[in-house]
Amino acid sequence: MTIQDLTTRLGEIAQGGATPPVTPTEGQPAAPVAPVLETDHAKRGTDLDVTVQPDRIQDAARIMDQGGYTLEAITGVDWIADKQYEVVYDFTSFASGKRVAVRTRVPRDIPALPSIHAIFPGANWHERETHDFFGIKFSGHPQLTPLLLPEDATFHPLRKDFGT
Amino acid sequence: MDEQTQVPPGLIHFAAMDQILDLARANSLWPMTFGLACCAIEMMATGAARFDMARFGCEVFRPSPRQSDVMIVCGTINKKMAPAVVTLYDQMPEPKWVIAMGNCAISGGPFVFPGQYNVVEGVDKLFPVDVYIPGCPPRPEALIEGFLELEKKLTGKRRWPVAKAQ
Amino acid sequence: MSIEGQTIHRETFVVNLGPQHPATHGVLRIKLTMDGEYIDDAEPVIGYGHRMHEKMGENRTYAKFLPNTARMDYVAAMFNTHGYVCAVERLAGITVPERAEYIRVVTAELNRLASHLLWAGAFLIDLGGFTPLLYTFDDREHILDLLESVTGARLTFCYYRFGGVCNDVDDQFVAGTREFIARLRSRMPMYHALITKNIIFRKRCEGIGIIPAETCRRYGATGPVVRGSGIAYDVRKAEPYSAYPQLNFNIPVYPEADCMARYLVRMDEMMESMRIIEQALDLMQPGPVMAEKVPKMLKPPKGDCYFNVESARGSFGVRAISDGTDKAYRLKLRSPCFSNMSLFQECSRGMLLADALALLGSLDLVIPDMDR
Ligand code: SF4
Repeated sequence: MTIQDLTTRLGEIAQGGATPPVTPTEGQPAAPVAPVLETDHAKRGTDLDVTVQPDRIQDAARIMDQGGYTLEAITGVDWIADKQYEVVYDFTSFASGKRVAVRTRVPRDIPALPSIHAIFPGANWHERETHDFFGIKFSGHPQLTPLLLPEDATFHPLRKDFGT
Repeated sequence: MDEQTQVPPGLIHFAAMDQILDLARANSLWPMTFGLACCAIEMMATGAARFDMARFGCEVFRPSPRQSDVMIVCGTINKKMAPAVVTLYDQMPEPKWVIAMGNCAISGGPFVFPGQYNVVEGVDKLFPVDVYIPGCPPRPEALIEGFLELEKKLTGKRRWPVAKAQ
Repeated sequence: MSIEGQTIHRETFVVNLGPQHPATHGVLRIKLTMDGEYIDDAEPVIGYGHRMHEKMGENRTYAKFLPNTARMDYVAAMFNTHGYVCAVERLAGITVPERAEYIRVVTAELNRLASHLLWAGAFLIDLGGFTPLLYTFDDREHILDLLESVTGARLTFCYYRFGGVCNDVDDQFVAGTREFIARLRSRMPMYHALITKNIIFRKRCEGIGIIPAETCRRYGATGPVVRGSGIAYDVRKAEPYSAYPQLNFNIPVYPEADCMARYLVRMDEMMESMRIIEQALDLMQPGPVMAEKVPKMLKPPKGDCYFNVESARGSFGVRAISDGTDKAYRLKLRSPCFSNMSLFQECSRGMLLADALALLGSLDLVIPDMDR
């Protein structure tokens, strides 16, 4: 699937609207950005930056899977000032070397979103790691137990309010 | 104890025996194959062709704690690993010695910062250590020097002259 | 299961492999459910080498985090530093002088050679052969000497800086590198005679530990693992960075997807690395090795970016998010070993335990890199 195809297909599911407060892009943190953004690979490292609602994340993963992409990483970010967690899924294509970032945001007090491990089994560990670090619950995940932290860990160290 | 059963002093000497045993032990230290992190690579390098720990009789790396008498703690111990390290130490037969190789094993090294949540700050919090080798990672020469120090601790003599500063 | 009315009970038992086991290369634990000698399920339990790198990225300045990068994948430390400095350079918009790019390529490829040599020795130990380790470490020491002369460290190099490298290389390094390449080239036939043609080695690797290409994709495996499964994916070609676009090299690919294929990929990669180094040394022109006007206290503008490099184990990625201060707001370190390891559970099902260890060795894991 080319970037154009992905733009259209991801655009359809991103129509639900981007979650209002948006990642600070090039100096304008408050301005809302389009849900699907073609980015300059040389500047951002991605070719496409997509923001979807948390409940559409599985659809987005399915599109990426059909496009022959692979899941490279899942990054959690704690935007404590916005009272939200952001989860960034980085996809890349072995064939074209293109890179797509799919973002979603969940409220900080009910951090839950669907798991995509059924589509990308590699997501299993990435989601467990994100759960370790931020306490984000991935619903439908088969084994959301600590992966990197000790088995009995109950803390989430990468939360910005950890240790305070 | 009456007069009859008392052993007259000076009849049995353990000291000479001990000295011989110490010499034997010091010259055949068997370390445990046990890599924790970066420092383990330098430990491997020490055992391999160029630095050749075999020259000092301590190249027989044993994978089982039951067969080894030196534990080289080479790397970072975190809270998940700590119970396993203690188990390994307990499984080693006496007499046993511990070398803390690298800053991580000495004090937590570069991973200590206010609010750190996962690193054990020094292996001596878990069990006693005989020789500390600073460095991040220590060079293979430093590990060899550490073994010479351990030998000295066992026999009271240093078998190798100390290199003079150039 | 039943045969002629009799019920045969299948009994499984659970064995722990690790966290201290010579075959797990450090502190990996695998919870094995065994059916006799066959693996029913192998669940990796990781985290025994977790050292909080991502947390440290958030509470120290950009420059102070540099030494940490060398301690993630310490067998190939250059690549992690490379990925990190490139990500921050992209974020802050710093351009690197050309000579520095070539120096980065030369030192990184030397490190790749060192890493693959170490892997070959350690892999053979997993399979029961001790001798090759002594040969590979002998060659590796030459590389470490070369790198030590410019970086000052044998293992945990912290050589790259934002905007270049901290030291220029001298003629002695260049001459020494050329000499070393000639030596390693002449020793490759010896390695092939010693290892590749060894019948025991072949029997333990050929057809063992198949990782289908589709599995690689679904798990996000990269590096020699995918190239051993017939996918020609290499970040150096897919998203060219540094001085790689100017250099001419091939990506070795083997379609067999077994341990042997992964071994051969790495051996061929060493030949390619040597070619890259020679070309880079030829193309290197005198000039500055540091960009001008890189502030001491770097404060990249708000924003986030991703940068990938091809490390010795696969694609190492950094996602750096800046909030405009001197510390990163979030630093995600994507390690290749993490994804490469996650496919082990699926691929080892039904294998003999001894074969699974060959598979484990062929993935080339560095545990503290996986756990970060
Ligand atoms: S002391 Fe340094 S080299 Fe050794 S394990 Fe710790 S971080 Fe790694």
